[in-house]
Amino acid sequence: MASKAPKKTVAARKAAAPAKTPVIDDVKHLVKLMIEHDLVEVSVADGGRSIALKRGSSSQPAGGALSAGAAQTGSAAPAADKVEEPAELLVEVKSPMVGTLYTAASPDSDPYVAVGSYVDENTVVCIVEAMKVMNEVRAEVSGVITEICVKNAQPVEYGQVLFRVRPA
Amino acid sequence: MFHRILIANRGEVALRIIRTCKEMGIETVAVFSEADRNASYLHLADERICIGEAPPAESYLNIPRIIAAAEIADVEAIHPGYGFLAENAHFAEVCRDCKIAFIGPSVESMRALGDKIKAKEFARAAKVPTTPSSDGAVETVEEAVTTAGRIGYPVAVKAAGGGGGRGIRFAHNEATLRSCFKQARTEAEISFGDGRLYMEKCLENFRHVEVQLLGDMSGKVLHLGERECTVQRRRQKLIEESPAPNMPAGLRDEICNSAVRLAKEVGYHSAGTVEFIMDEDLNFYFMEVNTRIQVEHPVTEMILGQDIVKWQLRVAAGERIDMEQSDIVPRGWSIECRINAEDPAHGFRPSPGRVEAFVAPGGLGVRWDSHVYQGYAIPSCYDSLVGKLIVHRPSRGEAIATCRRALEEFVIYPTRTTIPLCRDILAHPKFQAGQWDTTYVEREMLKV
Repeated sequence: MASKAPKKTVAARKAAAPAKTPVIDDVKHLVKLMIEHDLVEVSVADGGRSIALKRGSSSQPAGGALSAGAAQTGSAAPAADKVEEPAELLVEVKSPMVGTLYTAASPDSDPYVAVGSYVDENTVVCIVEAMKVMNEVRAEVSGVITEICVKNAQPVEYGQVLFRVRPA
Repeated sequence: MFHRILIANRGEVALRIIRTCKEMGIETVAVFSEADRNASYLHLADERICIGEAPPAESYLNIPRIIAAAEIADVEAIHPGYGFLAENAHFAEVCRDCKIAFIGPSVESMRALGDKIKAKEFARAAKVPTTPSSDGAVETVEEAVTTAGRIGYPVAVKAAGGGGGRGIRFAHNEATLRSCFKQARTEAEISFGDGRLYMEKCLENFRHVEVQLLGDMSGKVLHLGERECTVQRRRQKLIEESPAPNMPAGLRDEICNSAVRLAKEVGYHSAGTVEFIMDEDLNFYFMEVNTRIQVEHPVTEMILGQDIVKWQLRVAAGERIDMEQSDIVPRGWSIECRINAEDPAHGFRPSPGRVEAFVAPGGLGVRWDSHVYQGYAIPSCYDSLVGKLIVHRPSRGEAIATCRRALEEFVIYPTRTTIPLCRDILAHPKFQAGQWDTTYVEREMLKV
């Protein structure tokens, strides 16, 4: 029986094959260029062949834009704490730390601010307590409180929106 | 067992801890900085709390913020992972004061072993071989010169508060020693807040072999075998494996048992690793103890079928280790490649940014530990680890083959990684032979 010819490795077979440029290689190359240069649409014509590619909007990170703050804050503020305002005009007062938020200096005191209160940069708007230390949070903006986004004794994280202020 | 713990870390190790906690039914609270806000591993935790801006000092190193998060989330324990606060005895102490369990060793053993001078004293007391060294801290240049005369050049001048390959300077002669001593002190003060220096005789061309330890609060200590971590670049590990190649069985037992003796001498519990250096004549010497879980712990897990994070949680919850040394029987061979977002073609400069295309390898014997996925933006302000590729096969040859095959499967674009370097190292005859030292990669492959 005649012996079989030794099988060629994939690399050897590729090297032996006649040179050609399959459409898929061109498409792959174009896709790479589109990503690199953030192009949305490309069309190429070459003799008798043309390729047109359209790219959707840039994909979002797989993690999504889910704000972990949303996971933390719990229920939304009741309607009475809100005044309707076009969002662009409002400044957000955010928590500078992690801890438990208190809206007043003590259980018997009135809250520091209410909707409609005037504040300036140094006005204390709430307290965030951590490790038994009470930290005063200041508005750092002048204006009027339009929304109170948190409840008394609520846990807050860094960067969480506490108040919205219409700047004066 | 704990019902809820906080993970004071990020990225790969945070995901690692979340995975074990999920299997144990323990709720997890993950803290994160603004730079990690969109990382998808956070959604595997039961709760996520933002603790600050990107810089570690404002987030992952910020003890008050981490403790505040632990308090509002009402957790029973904190796992520090590796890096960041994992070996910070002060942090462990604050946890203890706040009645939060620290998943790691005791404050006292962290303090003792974090001080590299004290650690050597413990090693000597436990009859663990140590390199000739100074008698404690070296105060003056003249004392340094006298010490070098006694122990012989070349010498290493090391910071007592250092570790992990940092805070070390080498001197081959008196002139160099004189010129680098003062600088070493200043650097130590700045980097570690502790200007104390000690000196050791340098070995030229040594292997790095370490022993994984596990102790419980009753004083029981077991070893989980050794790891070879000689493949390094600038004293940072690149590839690790277990068991160690070219290691006579009797020597393996001797090294592992000496590590156990040291742990008992210190009263160590939880997971920890004793690091040794080994010369060409197979003499081994104590280097340091890492009082935390290590990056390369998976190779030990694979050959033993054990979950080291689970052991940490069990020990921290007060459980006894319910196995004996004779139950620790390794099977097969495991190799880990650390994949970093660094560009070997351009001096290993970091390659942060969005990972546009990503495919991880799979198949028989492949484990991929990583928080990275397609669309993830690698932040520029933390370490560059993309993930760890771990393989486990019956023999070293098969493990190398699987590792090389798996490395070829990766698609990571446009991020530059150290994958090409790993492939070159695994193809190199020195790796295949397991005849090496901690500088051979730089000397023979990177031609630095």
